[in-house]
Amino acid sequence: MKITKLLAFAALCLPLLASALDGVEILKKVDRNLEPESYESYRKLINIEPDGAKKEFVIYTGKKGKDQVATLFLSPSSDKGRSTLRQGDNMWLYIPNVGKPMRITSLQSVTGGVFNNADIMRLDYAQEYAVLAIEEKKGDAGDFYLLDLKAKTGEVAYDKLKMKVDKKFILPTEIECYASSGMLLKTLYFKDIKDFGGGIRRPATIETDSPLYKGYKSVMLYSGLKKKVFPDEVFTQGFMSRMEELRK
Amino acid sequence: MNITTATLAAALTVVVGLANAEEYKFDASEFEKKTFEFSGYIEHKEEALKLRGGSPAYKLVYPDKAAQNSLLRSTSTLEATGKLNLDPFVADLRVKGTYAYDDILHSSDSGKVMEGGLRWSAGPGLALDAGKRVQLWGKGYAWNPVGFVERPKDPNDPQVSREGFGMAIGEWTKSFSDESGGPLSAIGFTGLVVPTNDRMNSDFGKKADLNPAARLYLLALDTDIDLMWRGKGARPEAFGFDFSRNINTALEVHGEWARTLDAEQTTVTASGVTSSQTRDFSSWLLGVRYLTPGEVTWIGEYYRNGGGYLAEQLQNYYQFLDRALDTRAAAALENKARKLAQTGYGKSNPGRDYLYVKASVSEPFDWVYGATSLTAMTNLNDGSWQITPEISYTGFTNVELRARVIFFGGQSHTEFTEKTASQRLEVYARFFF
Repeated sequence: MKITKLLAFAALCLPLLASALDGVEILKKVDRNLEPESYESYRKLINIEPDGAKKEFVIYTGKKGKDQVATLFLSPSSDKGRSTLRQGDNMWLYIPNVGKPMRITSLQSVTGGVFNNADIMRLDYAQEYAVLAIEEKKGDAGDFYLLDLKAKTGEVAYDKLKMKVDKKFILPTEIECYASSGMLLKTLYFKDIKDFGGGIRRPATIETDSPLYKGYKSVMLYSGLKKKVFPDEVFTQGFMSRMEELRK
Repeated sequence: MNITTATLAAALTVVVGLANAEEYKFDASEFEKKTFEFSGYIEHKEEALKLRGGSPAYKLVYPDKAAQNSLLRSTSTLEATGKLNLDPFVADLRVKGTYAYDDILHSSDSGKVMEGGLRWSAGPGLALDAGKRVQLWGKGYAWNPVGFVERPKDPNDPQVSREGFGMAIGEWTKSFSDESGGPLSAIGFTGLVVPTNDRMNSDFGKKADLNPAARLYLLALDTDIDLMWRGKGARPEAFGFDFSRNINTALEVHGEWARTLDAEQTTVTASGVTSSQTRDFSSWLLGVRYLTPGEVTWIGEYYRNGGGYLAEQLQNYYQFLDRALDTRAAAALENKARKLAQTGYGKSNPGRDYLYVKASVSEPFDWVYGATSLTAMTNLNDGSWQITPEISYTGFTNVELRARVIFFGGQSHTEFTEKTASQRLEVYARFFF
């Protein structure tokens, strides 16, 4: 009798398990369609104030494997030479001539504006989030998956994500980011799908707004995104003052 | 009329469309690496000081000048860095020039090489460097007891750039991202020598010596750990460690511990009898950085300065200064006071125990790129204190604006009431290029 009950319970859970597996696969595809696992890229971050005033940053980024990211600020002059490093949940900021690498947290922002450090040094979604549920939906812009994601640990910047994934391209179109309290922290909008070469075709623009910063908007533009494998030593504190060496 | 309106609307649509297209234009080729790079900043600072004109500190800083109770000072600074990238070599030079004007000293200028040398990157994990270099050891925000081969940090302005020492450095790093290192994610080793004699690095020490030092860095179990050592030479032998770890997304803890061997400490009685003793001492620091849900960053640090003076020892020193710098005092006594000011008594924080607390808010009241902070520092032994409210704005590209007031307080003959000024207002604008 007990075995019968167990089998019945397992049969009931099977669709849930199957959908979770599908969701994980889709999330992994999203990650690889957005970027190769190891790559370099250039990004321009634009913070736009309600009156239209803008502040721009240009950063070079190198990523390797599941959890290593390094960035170098190229512009403006006031920030040039600053570098950041992420190893898993550990993050550091290096300011030339001023100090040694200093630990920073994912919720802070080295650029100000709506993007925080976790957005700027993002790891693969599948690395940080588990898929709670997946639904197929129809929208004006075409069919999409709606993924409910939950942070795997308390170290992750957002506790929950609601990710809309374009069914045709398996690329995100919109992600809502929530705190553990359920409060909406920000929404990311993925736009302007562009061919970067080397088989990389992804949105070149990410916009974000937040109910916490009413009227403000931040934009992230991608350029020069390509697959590149770096030595592991690049992702250490000792290399933060030498990040410029990565750019040939 | 309708045609005109429609034409205008169409034109407006085109203009807005073009503007939007322009808004998000980005081409990485504009940011290609350059062989020669030049950067730096120009700063102008205005200061208003409420001076303690009759105090010994005033007489030490402004000998032979009439006492006055206020002072306006203007200071212009240019700091420039040139860098020549000749992969795998990088040659660089950082210079700083300052011109200051005030009613007491009238004008003064200075120019110095802050840093400069040649680096050879033999590989991503190995670099050799020679020249005037700044080593920044330790995890503390306001103080670094393990800063064995660097000029002391100014706790009033911990992020101000500092001058280096001439040295030769070898750095090696190994990463274990493939998990082959077990709990160890990265390891690094820095070995260096700081040669000294009466001409080279004489402000590190005049004794002819190579002054070796080393640091072993470990990233283990998500914790930064450094082990440091400085060999006996122009300065006493010292060793220690530091650590830093993020407890969660908003909380970081850090600490330092240093042991200095055979260090000489000079003390003076209120009547002017000096004595020196050689002893070993430990200094340490424990600190936290916490970001509250309301976006307030708190930094708190407790600092035990093992080589510092207790309240009674500082009081004796200040009482001696009263006697020695009195207009009727003998010249020999005044000279003795000036010599003592060059010892541990003259350090920016000569006491034994300190507490530092800073609360800062970025973008308060939705004031984007604005920041405010309140910093309090106290000498726990004599109860004297300083409080610094500060405001800054970085909303204009490449421009930083900052203003702060420093208030000093406490009982007489205590550390922060024996400074040259009792209040100081600073306003500065810095332009980066």
